[in-house]
Amino acid sequence: MNRLPLELTVNGEPISLAVEPNRTLLEVLRDDLELTGAKEGCGEGVCGSCTVLMDGKAVRSCLTLALEASGSEIITVEGLSEGGALDPLQESFIEHGAVQCGFCTSGMLMSAKGLLLKDPHPTKDAILRTLGGHVCRCTGYTKIIEAVEATVDGSAEER
Amino acid sequence: MPDYAFIGKNMPRIDSRAKVTGEAKFTADLKLPRMLVGKILRSPHPHARILNIDASEALRIPGVKCVVTGKDTRGTKWGVFGYTQDQEFLTRDKVRYVGDEVAGVAATTEDIALEALDRIRVEYEVLDAVFDPMEAILPGAPQLHEGFENNINIHVPINQGDVEKGFDESYYVREDTFTAAEDSYFQGEPYAVAARFDLDDNLEIWMPNAGPHMKAKPLSNALGIALNKVRVRKITIGGAFGGRSEICPGDYICALLARKTGRPVKIVYTREENSIATRQGHALITTLKTGVDRDGRVIARDVTCYMDGGGYSSTGPIATTVPFLCMEQAYRMDHVRYNGYRIYTNKPPRGMIRIHGRAFACGVDVQLDMIGEHLGIDPVDMRLRNARQAGDYTNTGSHVASCAMQETIVKAAEKAGWKEKWGKLPPLHGIGIGCNSVQTGFPMGIRGGSQAIIKMNEDGGATLISGVVDNGQGNDNMLVQIAAEELGIRPEDIQLISADSEVTPSDPGAYSQVSTFIGGHAVKNAAANVRNLLFETASNMLEADPSDLVARDRMVYVSGSPAAGIPLKKVIRKTLARGKAVSGEGDYWPKVDPKREWIKNPYGQVCGAFSFGTTIAEVEVDPETGQVRVLEVTVAQDVGFALNPLVLEGQFQGSIAMGGQGGVLTEAHTWDGGFALNPTQLEYKVPLACDMPKINTIIVESNDPEGPYGAKESGMSIAMSAAQAYAAAISNAIGVHMTDLPITPDKILKALEEKAERESGVGAPD
Repeated sequence: MNRLPLELTVNGEPISLAVEPNRTLLEVLRDDLELTGAKEGCGEGVCGSCTVLMDGKAVRSCLTLALEASGSEIITVEGLSEGGALDPLQESFIEHGAVQCGFCTSGMLMSAKGLLLKDPHPTKDAILRTLGGHVCRCTGYTKIIEAVEATVDGSAEER
Repeated sequence: MPDYAFIGKNMPRIDSRAKVTGEAKFTADLKLPRMLVGKILRSPHPHARILNIDASEALRIPGVKCVVTGKDTRGTKWGVFGYTQDQEFLTRDKVRYVGDEVAGVAATTEDIALEALDRIRVEYEVLDAVFDPMEAILPGAPQLHEGFENNINIHVPINQGDVEKGFDESYYVREDTFTAAEDSYFQGEPYAVAARFDLDDNLEIWMPNAGPHMKAKPLSNALGIALNKVRVRKITIGGAFGGRSEICPGDYICALLARKTGRPVKIVYTREENSIATRQGHALITTLKTGVDRDGRVIARDVTCYMDGGGYSSTGPIATTVPFLCMEQAYRMDHVRYNGYRIYTNKPPRGMIRIHGRAFACGVDVQLDMIGEHLGIDPVDMRLRNARQAGDYTNTGSHVASCAMQETIVKAAEKAGWKEKWGKLPPLHGIGIGCNSVQTGFPMGIRGGSQAIIKMNEDGGATLISGVVDNGQGNDNMLVQIAAEELGIRPEDIQLISADSEVTPSDPGAYSQVSTFIGGHAVKNAAANVRNLLFETASNMLEADPSDLVARDRMVYVSGSPAAGIPLKKVIRKTLARGKAVSGEGDYWPKVDPKREWIKNPYGQVCGAFSFGTTIAEVEVDPETGQVRVLEVTVAQDVGFALNPLVLEGQFQGSIAMGGQGGVLTEAHTWDGGFALNPTQLEYKVPLACDMPKINTIIVESNDPEGPYGAKESGMSIAMSAAQAYAAAISNAIGVHMTDLPITPDKILKALEEKAERESGVGAPD
């Protein structure tokens, strides 16, 4: 299959590649760029483990063709912590015991980040709807929800 | 409680930083130089004889490096026990389920490997297949394996006391049958394996596992190489839940491909393969006959259970026994008989799962409610009267040293507001209770104990070596937490080397609820030995008796005088200067009856300790849609002693999600003959964040005399008591005792309809 040029920014770094048109963004991130933080759990957009930010919006990278990301800015979980300092969401996941096996964690973090970028004061309902697109088999979700809520400014009543 | 530095405190897990940054590597993330992509050709037939395999066309595709079939194997058959060896990792004679492994391919890219699978020509003679265990045991049914008449793979017979006499003496006897469909693990991480050989025929291999040594031994047998040439490496693991407790044919196929090509090979299962070709939970038909006295105390119980085992034995004898064990541990009874049959069918093989035997477990509790209803006894009282107590012996002869079952019932009932709610809730609103007990380990012979090694450096840091594996539950943290406590150093001072079959000593594995009780205990003993060594030196330095010394926060001091202490690293250096290495080892073996055997002698001490717990669920049913809304769940669990409450709460919540919310409301495989219709994440419904109810967690501590710091199990039994509570709560809400799991909306609507018909028939004479 013919390769087509792909230019994009990944975690702040400009990337120039040639990719087959049928390749997904997830494949390019994991195989070509060796960014394996995004995971393939189902390959059909259900589990959410492959979620990354595309121009600030959470997308399923297993359902996004790499060429669809042309010219866009991608942030993966590896790019969430800047200069070694963890994002408040990452800190909160650790402190609240929201991580067990860790397979779903990067997707959960990226979706939560996408929500907070759009709305720094989401309601609990909005948090539940966002995380509702992710499958976690270990935690029962309670601590993940608590971890995201804890990073939202202001008391729950105000929101 | 003693004044611990780390034990008993909320401690964020040491592995979570790597997991929130994406640094943690799972097997599918591995990339080795010159690595090939491996794929497995699977049977499209549920039952067929393999007449011929022609791979010549596949091998002509550029980029295809190798094809392996049964001809490349030594024909070794795998089974967890000598008497259950029935599975070839690459079958030579016939296939027994849709998905059975027929050939393996290694190629330079995934596309080429998939193309090669299409070009392997397999000639099959299709055989009659059987999918229903009750048909499979009839004379004339297709036979799956030689030497297993009527497809009976396992028969566990247990008979204690005189059940018939017990029924004669009973005030009330009833018999009910409970059923459940197959369920699946749906671990976050689909199965994957990467392998490479060196020129000296040493294998290095990575895969999700519940015990590296449990993987190494069968690989050594099948490959015909010494155990020390099989190096199962540590890797981050995306969940197990019982489904990764034994060798997987993919492990062997990957190793064969790597050996034959001389290059590293990685096989990553699709989600469908993970559902079909690893393991599933058994489907069950359980008939319970129970006799009670006037007060609802169980006098006799006779249980017959038929388990659909699929095509191979897997952990058959254990799987057939565990539902019985949970019942006999949880509840007292004078006489008991059990006949557990595991039947071969042409479906995927079934193994252990977190809610093991849900029809059995839920049946016991739902039937207690039926009996209570007949006798006019509240469900909570039914449980309190039958609950196991400390000091008891189970019917099959296990001594129960610690048990706070009654306390968990009382505390859960109080928190859930049972008294205010039972019998007083509005229509279609119900509350239910379930109690369960899980064994901390099984008799595992020479694999039954764990050993740990600790060495200390002159800067005060330590390296801890343990065979315990972490499949997501937090075992790595548990090991470090215990070592830090015992050595008087901080968790960050410890480097953990674990779950590597080359470097770490043997361990029973993390699938029988023993990691803390046995593996953690071994670390505690090893650390105590090292500490004693240091105290010997320090006693001279501090001019004190070693028994008066304390190690804490990197210091050694005389108890009560921390200000006059000396740095631990100074004590280490002094010891080294004396010409003594600062290292030590420790092990722990549970006190089990070595003569106990699953089938031949199912009597005697089965394990070192038992956990006990109660779940209460409150639900609301929509009569239009049959949907169940779970309002609140309360769980009280006797964990012995809570080493890390933060981690325990996570186990509690996850257990409720998998056992109750998923296990009772939605999770089941549906079939068209031998084809599973819902192997994907889209079709098989596991709970989501928006489905989860409010959860109250109550930790109850009975301080087990044998457990490290008094600790026992916590991860499995709540999944089971949650399932029991959910089933009981729905039954209470709709006024019909539900006997088939999962309890989906269609079954609820049908039950409501039938109930309305019954009631109108009685109430409206026309």
